[in-house]
Amino acid sequence: MSRVRIAIVDGPVRRGALGEPCEDADGRDGVGSRIRFEGIVRGLENGERLVAIDYEIYEPMASRMLEAIAEDEAQRDGVRSIAVLHSRGRVGVGQVSFACEVRSAHRAEGLAALGSFIDRMKQDVPIWKRLVFSDLR
Amino acid sequence: MRIEVLLFGPASQAAGCDRIGVECAVAGGRAGPTAASVLEAIAAQHPELEFAIGSARLAVNHAFAPRETVVAPTDEVALVALVGGG
Repeated sequence: MSRVRIAIVDGPVRRGALGEPCEDADGRDGVGSRIRFEGIVRGLENGERLVAIDYEIYEPMASRMLEAIAEDEAQRDGVRSIAVLHSRGRVGVGQVSFACEVRSAHRAEGLAALGSFIDRMKQDVPIWKRLVFSDLR
Repeated sequence: MRIEVLLFGPASQAAGCDRIGVECAVAGGRAGPTAASVLEAIAAQHPELEFAIGSARLAVNHAFAPRETVVAPTDEVALVALVGGG
């Protein structure tokens, strides 16, 4: 399995898009922790009701940066792989716009890699959100 | 020298377009303006983007450019500000 996998998908990230966990391989690979995170579009933002978020992505810079950050986080001791999916275009309330799986030997390095990856993505990767309100602003 | 700059997100919405052109000063002997002078030109010539300039970085050919990077008119230049994926 490649250590890093990145994909930009049009619309919401679909259930199962990260793939089925490979339980046999994980145990034998020394993987003792598999953390999956999903970012979901909230229906309320500062008290205002949303219907969706439109994601604008500057490619290929965004994919290159996501890959570089994931490669960097995958260098942590014990981290075996990082997979990332991010939406482009409209994602409705309750749908998934971002999914990440970190496989690692122990949970501590997996949680650290996941948290750091998300922080760095939000700070540096050229992805923009436009909130779509229910009154069609 | 005129440099075309791509805009995204709130900057694009504020400018009402997805690219702008800016006239940039070129210091003696250089082949083009520096990334810093492109940002200064954007701030001076497009006051509607002032809100974004403070946190903005310039991307040149799909990578963040240090302030001293020399920009050519053929480069792909983008204003990257106020990002927020996830």
